[in-house]
Amino acid sequence: MTPPEASHDVFRAGWTGQALTLLAKDMKAELRTKVAISAVGVFTFASLLLLGLATAVLKEVKTVAITRLADPLTVQGLIAQMHPAWDSPSKMGLLWVLFCFAAFAGLAHSFVHEEETGTVTALRLSTSAEAVYTGKLLFNLIVLLVVMVAVTPVYMAMTGMSAGSPFVFITVMLSGGIGLAATATIIGALAAKAQGTGALYGALGLPLLLVFLMLLLNAAGTVYVVNAPMLRIVKDVGGLFSFGILIITMSVMLFHFVWEE
Amino acid sequence: MELTAQTSLSLRAENVGHHFGVRTVFSRISFEVAVGQVCVVTGPNGSGKSTLLRILAGLLAPSEGSVEMRVQGRAKTSVERRQFLGYVSPDLTLYRELTAAENLEFFARLQGITLSRDDLIARLTQVGLRGRGRDLVGAYSSGMRQRLKYAFALLSNPPILLLDEPTANLDVHGIAMVEEVIAAQRRRPDGGITILATNEPRELTWGDRTVHVDSTP
Repeated sequence: MTPPEASHDVFRAGWTGQALTLLAKDMKAELRTKVAISAVGVFTFASLLLLGLATAVLKEVKTVAITRLADPLTVQGLIAQMHPAWDSPSKMGLLWVLFCFAAFAGLAHSFVHEEETGTVTALRLSTSAEAVYTGKLLFNLIVLLVVMVAVTPVYMAMTGMSAGSPFVFITVMLSGGIGLAATATIIGALAAKAQGTGALYGALGLPLLLVFLMLLLNAAGTVYVVNAPMLRIVKDVGGLFSFGILIITMSVMLFHFVWEE
Repeated sequence: MELTAQTSLSLRAENVGHHFGVRTVFSRISFEVAVGQVCVVTGPNGSGKSTLLRILAGLLAPSEGSVEMRVQGRAKTSVERRQFLGYVSPDLTLYRELTAAENLEFFARLQGITLSRDDLIARLTQVGLRGRGRDLVGAYSSGMRQRLKYAFALLSNPPILLLDEPTANLDVHGIAMVEEVIAAQRRRPDGGITILATNEPRELTWGDRTVHVDSTP
């Protein structure tokens, strides 16, 4: 009845290896159930559709800054100073609001799902807290990046949002994705441990999310600054990237206290 | 985890108590289980048998008192304790969206265990699930899920088994399988420890000693 001895080295797999194992399991389960991708995807595309309808008129509206008007005021001068009321930085901001809601609609539930189904006990018996956080973070990041890659071109085509400086644009999207995945992962874990419902996300996540969105909008503005000085790019985009890394580092260090009862 | 014949292993609870909010589940529970022993934890519903097992497993910190596991004279932390034990409980669930084989392979990999195909078949055979390894756990009956929990608990061949309601949902063959698991644990050359939480009269006879938990004042 006793099975043959398997070679084993319990708990010595190393937490990076364990994290990748967890990621592979989550990807396999996701490909079967499509829970996260459909939650995030359906939310995002439904929001895109509504946004397209709601902002159809906005695309035509133009505005002018009074301080920029020349004296004497001429019609030609006025027309020359006019620019779209709904400009690319605003469109970028709205795109990120959409990603934020999508992330919290889908990604944050991965921990809640483990908690609700009771698989969390088997995980706690088998692996370390750091590995669980890292595995979940990688999974959330991949799902978010897939959604971002699918949605951003559609959104750009719908709203006419330009990419501004492509290098800065891509850097902001990647840094923002890392920061958002990190924030959604740790808030999801906190909410799961608090036996939380969706309403709890807001309360738990507001302080983190506010800082993230401020940094993000700052960096998003830099995308559209013509010939932006390198110092500004490093400050704004670097600040956003650093925030993501800071959240990840703090989460890995402190996740033990969330994970253990 | 195979320990050497010279390995000393002990599990001791000292004045352990737990409360959820203002409600005290139990308090001042003290006992020690020696190697080769089977200890049965009994008590009425809601008395905290499962909570006590979770505390012993290092899954829950006791509100008062302490649990000490010593391996070769060295005390282990609550997290370290987990690598020396197998745990079967109603609150433990494996992934419904994965097959039984995928579940075992996943948890083996997490625990750093190299599981060959033969190992996998042997483990499924041991718990009576041979030929059902490719089925999704979501399609399993409750008895089959209980059997799979045993395969999970025995993955690392742990010296300590904590079994909460060990024969829940099992048929006679399943109960025989559990008896064999406990007997094999007794036969271990390094001496295994088994702790059961149950009120089933049949299972009460499996123990060498009994710890009674009761929350009534």
